[in-house]
Amino acid sequence: MVSESLDRQLPMYQRIGVRIHFMMCKFCARYQEQLLFLRKTAHLYSESSEDSDTPVKLSPDVGKRIKESMVRFLEKHE
Amino acid sequence: MNKQQSISNNPVENPEKWVDLYGDYLYGFALYRVYEATVAEDLVQETFLAALGSIKDFQRRSSIKTWLTGILKHKIIDYFRKKAREQSIDDIESNVNKLDDLFDQNGHWKIKPAKWDADPQKLYDQKEFIKIFQKCMAELPGLQASAFTLREIIGESTKKICKILDVSSTNCWVLLHRARMYLRRCLEINWFTNSNDKN
Repeated sequence: MVSESLDRQLPMYQRIGVRIHFMMCKFCARYQEQLLFLRKTAHLYSESSEDSDTPVKLSPDVGKRIKESMVRFLEKHE
Repeated sequence: MNKQQSISNNPVENPEKWVDLYGDYLYGFALYRVYEATVAEDLVQETFLAALGSIKDFQRRSSIKTWLTGILKHKIIDYFRKKAREQSIDDIESNVNKLDDLFDQNGHWKIKPAKWDADPQKLYDQKEFIKIFQKCMAELPGLQASAFTLREIIGESTKKICKILDVSSTNCWVLLHRARMYLRRCLEINWFTNSNDKN
């Protein structure tokens, strides 16, 4: 239910139930915090492919293959 | 825009330039979402070809990079859709044994979540942490990885994810729950190692 609460709004009675439960169960509250941490991490990850510190490079061979396929494509569609 | 620029930006006249300009970026974007180099390479190639085929649709209101990224995003989602057809729904249960459930028969935490003292932003600046996150992602069974990536990295709604993966909404919640449970524990074991005694 904690995971589900990240994807949709739970009905009111469940939300209240979860809140009350968290007051009694610190590990459950911690679990939720950590799932939110995971979400934040995934979000940072999604933005970091552009990060200049860890650049990912297309290998020259693959680049060449792609260029050739584009030229062939253009010849065919001219 | 001067003439020189408009020529170099026009892929029909100069496709090589296009690959040089945007190839690395698109490849990185794809690799961070599909985790397999060969798949990412193919997706980049398909993106360029699709772009050439629909160059007339390109509106100069957006940049070429944004336009290409949009096409690539569609290609990535298509890839998850095709992959889901080849995967069995057994995936939903497949890493249960590895991690076991969170609670014992009496409803108590089997392994209590350890305290994490970390700020995602700061942690994220550490390359080692990114590597561990990628390693944990790579260990996820196919459908779970697809569901989690679509939800948290691409940012799709769960409704759309159910459609893409062709699973019921209940199974969709289960996939996401399992994926999160696994990733949480994986990060805890591999990164927050000493924290277990701090309960």
